[in-house]
Formats: sequence, structure tokens, C-alpha cells
Amino acid sequence: MFFKYDRRIFQNFDKTLFALVMSICAIGVVNIYSTGFSLGENATPLYLKQIQWIAFGLFFMMVAFLIDYRYFNRAAYGLYAFSMASLVAVALFGHTANGAQRWISFGVFLFQPSELMKISIILALARYFDDHKSHEPYRLRELLVPFGMVMLPCALILKQPDLGTALMIVLVSASIVLFIGMNWKSIVIAVASVMVLMPPAWHFLKDYQKNRLLTFLSPESDPLGTGYHIIQSMIAIGSGGFLGKGFLKGSQTQLKFLPEQQTDFVFSVFAEEWGFLGGLALMVIFTSLIIWGLKIALHSKDLLGTILAFGITALIAWQVLINMGMVLGVLPVVGIPLPFISYGGSAVVSLMAAIGLLMNVSVRRFILQR
Amino acid sequence: MAADSKKWLKFRLASILAIFLILFIALLSRAFQLQVLSGEKLKRLADRQHMTTLSIHAERGMIYDRNGEKLAMSVMAESVCADPSRISNPAKVSREISSILNLDPSSVLKKISEPKSFCWLARKISSQQALMVESANLEGIFLIKEPKRFYPNGPLAAHLIGFSGFDAEGLEGLERKYDRYLKGTPEKLTWARDAKGKKLFVHVEQDPSEKMGSANLVLTIDSRIQYLAETHLKEAVLEKGAKGGVAIVMDPKTGEILAMANEKAFNPNNIKGLTSENWRNRAITDSFDPGSTFKPFLVAAALEEKVVKESDRFYCENGHYQVANRVIREANHKKHGYLAVRDIIKYSSNIGSAKIAEKLGREKFYAYIKNFGFGSRTGIDLSGEAAGVLRPVKSWTRVDTTNIGFGQGISVTAIQLVTALATIANGGVRMKPYIVKGFTDRNNQPVKMFAPETVRRVISPETARRMAVMLTEVVGAEDGTGKRAHIVNVPVAGKTGTAQKFDFARGVYSSEKVRTSFIGFFPSDNPQVVILVMLDEPQRDKWGGVAAAPVFKSIGEQILNCFKTNIRETPAFEPQPVHELQLVSADASLVEDMTAAENEINDESRMPDFKGLTIREALKMARSRSIELRVSGSGWATQQFPQPGSEPGEDRLCKVIFEMKN
Repeated sequence: MFFKYDRRIFQNFDKTLFALVMSICAIGVVNIYSTGFSLGENATPLYLKQIQWIAFGLFFMMVAFLIDYRYFNRAAYGLYAFSMASLVAVALFGHTANGAQRWISFGVFLFQPSELMKISIILALARYFDDHKSHEPYRLRELLVPFGMVMLPCALILKQPDLGTALMIVLVSASIVLFIGMNWKSIVIAVASVMVLMPPAWHFLKDYQKNRLLTFLSPESDPLGTGYHIIQSMIAIGSGGFLGKGFLKGSQTQLKFLPEQQTDFVFSVFAEEWGFLGGLALMVIFTSLIIWGLKIALHSKDLLGTILAFGITALIAWQVLINMGMVLGVLPVVGIPLPFISYGGSAVVSLMAAIGLLMNVSVRRFILQR
Repeated sequence: MAADSKKWLKFRLASILAIFLILFIALLSRAFQLQVLSGEKLKRLADRQHMTTLSIHAERGMIYDRNGEKLAMSVMAESVCADPSRISNPAKVSREISSILNLDPSSVLKKISEPKSFCWLARKISSQQALMVESANLEGIFLIKEPKRFYPNGPLAAHLIGFSGFDAEGLEGLERKYDRYLKGTPEKLTWARDAKGKKLFVHVEQDPSEKMGSANLVLTIDSRIQYLAETHLKEAVLEKGAKGGVAIVMDPKTGEILAMANEKAFNPNNIKGLTSENWRNRAITDSFDPGSTFKPFLVAAALEEKVVKESDRFYCENGHYQVANRVIREANHKKHGYLAVRDIIKYSSNIGSAKIAEKLGREKFYAYIKNFGFGSRTGIDLSGEAAGVLRPVKSWTRVDTTNIGFGQGISVTAIQLVTALATIANGGVRMKPYIVKGFTDRNNQPVKMFAPETVRRVISPETARRMAVMLTEVVGAEDGTGKRAHIVNVPVAGKTGTAQKFDFARGVYSSEKVRTSFIGFFPSDNPQVVILVMLDEPQRDKWGGVAAAPVFKSIGEQILNCFKTNIRETPAFEPQPVHELQLVSADASLVEDMTAAENEINDESRMPDFKGLTIREALKMARSRSIELRVSGSGWATQQFPQPGSEPGEDRLCKVIFEMKN
């Protein structure tokens, strides 16, 4: 019922997209191998685990690819509800690590519902705007429901606390809203109200979140405290120079000066060992992926596909931009992983699934009739 | 959707792509700034963060004389420190400890009242003080051993050796010049640290080309001759009321400096309150008008150039010779008529020398002066050597030429003068003077040995021989100016000299202040040593032959008493590990002193001399002689009961008191 075999699905399989994603994944695995090189006698090396997650993600990618996205559209609210329920479950009896309660433990692995929510919110918004088509730019009143849909999970995620993911959901949602069109007056009002709400919101931030923002403004003021991440990251990247120190040769990485090196600060490792040239190459691949995603949005036969493709592309683009901005010391440390490169099961699987959806939209322009 | 047209969609997507691209380019420029523009800086920062380097110096090397006598060594000395946290009654402790160490009680009280667990109170104290501190047994006060530089012979050769500072850094003299070798190249231990400071791997870094452990310095100095030179120089300075003096003994065949004495002496073990005035090595740093000691070089040049022969006679103008606007007179207002060249040297005639200089001509004279080494540094391996003053020949007037003929208007250092005379003694070949024989490693195996260096042939062997004969007349003849340097049965060649000091205040040569000197060598037919003695401003017996010549004689006699000088079988130009002058006579009291210990080493029936030995050395000697040692103090043995040489008692017991010499 969900899946109807059609030759064209395979004939028009988006090989370019697949190749781009897999090459990024491969770079990620190699890089994680380097960070784990000095870990010692750990049970399963992280890079092997990452390969497992990629394999697992490939399965979800296929599922997301093969089933017509319009079926997903029907299931969008259900998936959103499931994600919300998971977030509530996290809040109630989630697994705590590094001072944050973000995960649900499944014994062998930890599941991070906020990662699933990133996809669910794109699907849910696409469904909503597809259901409520308008020839005029949306006004604030018409956006109340989507606003609520976004703010509800954000509140739960902020409470975990996970500023990065919450920010990502807001950014992607805002991008989608702006992309499909919003009344100028409404934009002004929205921006103004955000400005007004900012100071009180400051009080709701955790101390460490405030610190991170303050540290971003002047990292050298506290080199061993909150500024440590940023300074170490900049030292690692900078010491890589133009050509890099070579694979497994990054001293800052191998000697563990660099914190969070297999997750949020994974790009520092890459830049230390492969230099500016390596970083440039990686950015070129990411940029190609984004251009390709936007092209899929452009060529989609229906609005639903366009919004889905755009949302997923925006999700990847924002994550890359914010993560790199963060490790390069131009944005505050908010905890956003680098897509396909950072280690992390939930993120890899949900992103692979999202790519599956993107492929889905890509291939179905050859099948769907307008 | 706001607008359905594909074009509008395309425009929006393109704009969004443009925004993303701009942001990506911004990130790339940031990466470029970090990695390419400030990459080197951040790389250094990274290196500093994970590398710790520690330099490890070996124990500072010793300084030996040519016979292996220790001139400088490193010993362990006690330092006093306190643990204030363990002192319950600071007032009492500070009172007691400052009375032992002669410190200000209030500053000690302040130090030990601070909430710390360590502070220094006094560093490198004497053994008596250390003993007192130990026996006082004050709470929270303890002793730590630290290496200290020690000069066992005190002031002996102090101007040469110099001294090193608190943390064993050479500050003056050879200690400074060869600091790098004495210290050795430190081993660099580099650790990589991880973020927690844990050492990951150790990497010993040594530049193989630079690698060298701390080395011992072996000098050409013979401390016995050095001692002789210093003693007799000091005696003369006191007796003649001189301001100071210099004595140099040199081996003419190799250029080795056997002794270089400066008066006043100082003790490098205690340099408090001393200045460079005290430790300046005037034998190389100060230049002076050589006076008549310069005449042999003029005559040697004239002989070599065949301008004169020994028998050529010059009219000496009866003691009054006008050159241009200047009148040249003889010393002590002597009046000579005709003098042969050999007599001009023997009687040290200024007028005769002036005439020889005029006959030789300034150009040739200048060339020989240069070749004898005046006007430029000899290149001796000591710091601070002066070049003296030799004005360019173009500016010489007739007066200048004649003046320089008898050693005025030119300024030379003692080392230049002795090296030039050694050239004549060495058959006309100038050797480069040197003072460091070589380096040895910790096991006293030679690492590097310096060979004698020939500078150039200045005069022919024949001229040198003829000069030696003439100079022997100066000392040997009954009426020679240098007869006070005469040594019985040994042909001595020499030349006296007294130069008025230039009075800079009045701009004329002073008749009161003089430098009187004697240079000579013996045996003149086969010279073994060249000696220079110079006294600065003697109050009595100002004129050369009287004040300085006897010092030369005493040093020379005692060297002859100590050494068999006529044996020199090994060729002169090969490096010799030990100077082959050998002891012949044990009559002289000095030799007795020096050799007593050596002679007695082999005598079982008598009490050995422990003096000057360390506890360990004394114990070793006692053991070999089956003598029981009762030790008190620390440092070096200063007294013993029974006295050395006496018969040991039934119990074969010897009580030895050790002290830190200072």
C-alpha cells in the first residue's frame, strides 16, 4: 500500500546526491578514526560504531526513499506526535549525560528524540502549509498554529537543556516560513517581539548557556574555563596551517587538548590534520550538497516536495554553518554537530532518513503528474 | 504559496543559496585567517602547550694545570633552609639561627613567619657554620647540599681562571671563556604532555654535532712555576713599593704559557667587594711603553736586513743627540762615545739605538715590529686581550722612528713582549701563545688537545742565535745592564727596560712614575723558558736592571732548582701531555713542601700527610696504610695529629680536622 514498485524509481535514482552524502560520511569515519586513535583499549572503536550507525541510517534512508513522500505527508502529524511524546518521555525519565537529559536508553543504544524532531517538524510544517495554501503572504495570525507547533518541542528541548537543537528547529522553521512567504508587516512585528522578549529570555537560560554566550564575546577572558573549548579549537585549526599536520598527526587532537573532538568539535580535528586545503574541500562538498538540495526543491512537482526539500536542505546548511562558525570561533558554542561528520547515532540516522526523503522528492518529479 | 510562478520560486531559492554561499565564504575566510595568516603563531602556541623541555646540565668540569693539579672544582656545600609551617616559636628560632649565621634577626623572623613551607635562609655556608646549625637542632630548620665552585689553591692563577657565580655560571677569566665546555651541552629532555599534564613520551634531544658533556679544562700552566712566579713577584712588589706587577713564564718552543702572575692577587673563593680592578689580567689587558726591552727587536731587524753587524760602531754623541727639535739622552745621564752594536745592547744606549733605527729606516723597522707581533693581538686564548698601540708608519716622523728605536712612542702588552722575545729564543719562529692545553672528559680522557701553532718566521735562525749571544752579554758581562739577572753556571740572555709612564694629566712622560721590566730566557744556547717581569711604579730602584732583574733571577733559579732544563728530547712542535721539565733537586724548601706528600706516599713507617685531601681521599690513603682515621669537620683536611712524617703510635690512629677552605 505504501510502496508501489516503479522501475523509474531506480532509473532516476539520485546518484549524485547519494555519492555526495556517502563521501561526507566516509570523511567522517576517517576523521573519527583519528580522534579515537589515542583513546586506548576501548571496547568498540568509535569509528566502527559510526559505520554501524551509517549502515543503520542507510536502511532508514531506503525506507524514506522508497515510500512515496505523500504517504509521509499523511503520517506527518502522527510522527510529530510521536516525537513530542518521546520528548515528554525524555523529560520524565530520560538518560542523563554531561549534565543534560537528552536521551532515551534502549539498553544497547541511546536514542535522542530531539534529532527525530528536526525531521518531524519539517514534515509537519510542510503538511500544514500544504494543507493551508495561500496566494498571499502569510500573516502573523495565520502563523499561530505553526508557531505553536515549533515552540512546543523547543520548550521541551530547551529544558533538557539543548540550546543547539532548539535553535536549529527554530532556524529551520523560520527559514521555511520565510521561504514560503510572510507578510512584511508580520516579519517586522515578529522580529520586534523577539527583541522585546530577549532580555527576559536571558533569565531562562542556564548559567552555562549564559557563560557560553559571554565567552563567545571574549574567549580569552577565561582560558581554562568556558573559553577553553573555543581557544583550543582555534589553536588546533590554526596549527594545522595550509596543508595540515597529516592524518593521525594532529597534536592537539591526539593529546586530547581538544574537547568534544568526535562530536561538536570534529571539524577542528579535520582542519588540524588536513589543513586549510582539507577544510576547503569539505566545504565544497557541503556546498554542492546544498546546491543540489535546492535544485531538488526547485524541480519538485508539488509544493509539498518543494517545502520538504527546502526544509531538509536548510537543516543541513544551518547545521554546517553554525557548527563551523562555532569551531572557528565566530559563533557561540551552542552544541550543534557537523552533519555526517560528527559522531552520534541519532543524528546520523535521522539525517540519513532526511536524505532519503530528499531523494524521494528528487526521484518523484519523474513519476508524479502535476 | 505566495506566487505560483516557477520563476518566482527560482528567484527565492537563488537568493537563499546566495545567502548560504556568502556565509560559507565568510567561514572560509575565517579558516584562512586562522590557518594561513596566523597559522605559525597558533602552531607555536600548540607546541608550547604540549611540549615541556627540561635542560639537564652535567656537573661543571674541573680546571687542571698541566700536571693534573686541581685549580677549580665543584664541591657540595651546605645551604640552610626553613620550613616555617613547622616552626612553633619563630622568635626563638630566628634569634638562634641568625646568631650562628650572622644574619639580621628581624628579617629572618619575617621570612620564617610567612605561611609557606619552604624558604632559603643562607646558601653555601661554611662547614663550621653548618656544623653549628646541625648541632643547634632547631625545629623547622634543615640543611641542603648544593654544588659550589671551589678553588683549592685560593689565589693561585686566579687572574687566569677567573671565577664562576652562584649558580655555577662562569663570570670571569677561563671560567667564563670556556663556560660552554665546562658546562657542556645540556641534554634536552622533551616531554609531550596531554591536556591533563600527563607525560606521554620522553624524547631526548641532542644535536649530535653540538653534543658534548661537561669537559675538564687542562691548562698549560704549571702550578709550581705559577706559584714561584706569584711568590717572587709579590715579594718584589712589596719590597720595591710598586703598585703592582706582572710575570709571565713561557715555553718558547711551543708558545705554552707556564705561568702568568698578576699582583695584586685575589682569592676567587671570596669575591665579595671585588671589582674588575682586582681581577683584570693586566698581562694581556694593559699596554705600556716597553722602553729598552724593545731594543733587541730593533737590532734583530737590523741584523736580519744586514744593515748592521755586531761590531759596527756608532757614535753616541756623548749623551746628547738632537733629532729635529728633540734631544735624546742616555738613561742615568751616561755619556758614550763610539759603541759597537753589541755594546749598544749591553749598555742599552738610547742614542745608539736611535741611530740604528735611522739607518734601518722606518718602513723596514715597521715591518719587523709588525712581524714580531706588536700592534696586533697575539691571539692567546684569554678574553680581553689588548692590541697595544702601533701608529701607522706613514705618520712616523724622524723623531718617532728614533723614539720607537728605544721603545718610546709605542705601546705593547706584556704578552706581546714575551711572545716577541720567545721568537728570538725559538730561533726566529714566532709561536702563538696559549693557555688551554685541551679538554678532557669526565674520565679524564682527552677529548681535544691543542697543538702549538706557528705564526711565522720573523728572523733567520742565524740572526736569532746572534741576538741570543748579544743578549747573553747583557746579563753575563760584568758591566752589562742586566747583570743582576745572572744565574750561576747557566747562560742567561736578557734585556732590561724602564719606561717612563705617560702622564696624561700633564701630557708629558713622567720622570717619577715608571714601569721597570726585565725580559730574558735561558739557557741562551738552547732556550727552555722565557720570563718577563714587569713592576708598575716601583718606589725604590726604579731603573730596570735593579728592580726587575732580581725577580727574574729568583724565578729562574728556582725553576732550575726544580727542573732539569737541558733535556728536551721530544720535538718541539708535538703536543706533550706533560711538560717534560723534570724535578732534579729536592733541596729547595719549596720543592720539599711540594713533594713531601708524594715522597711519603710510599713510606709505610711514617704518618702520611692528609692535608688538602677530602675525607674520602684521606680515608682511602689511610686504608692503604692501615691507619685508623678519626675524622672531624668536612671539606679538606687542614690539621692532623700526629703530624705528617712522625711515627704512628701503637694504635696507628690519626685525628684529622677537615674544614671548608675559604
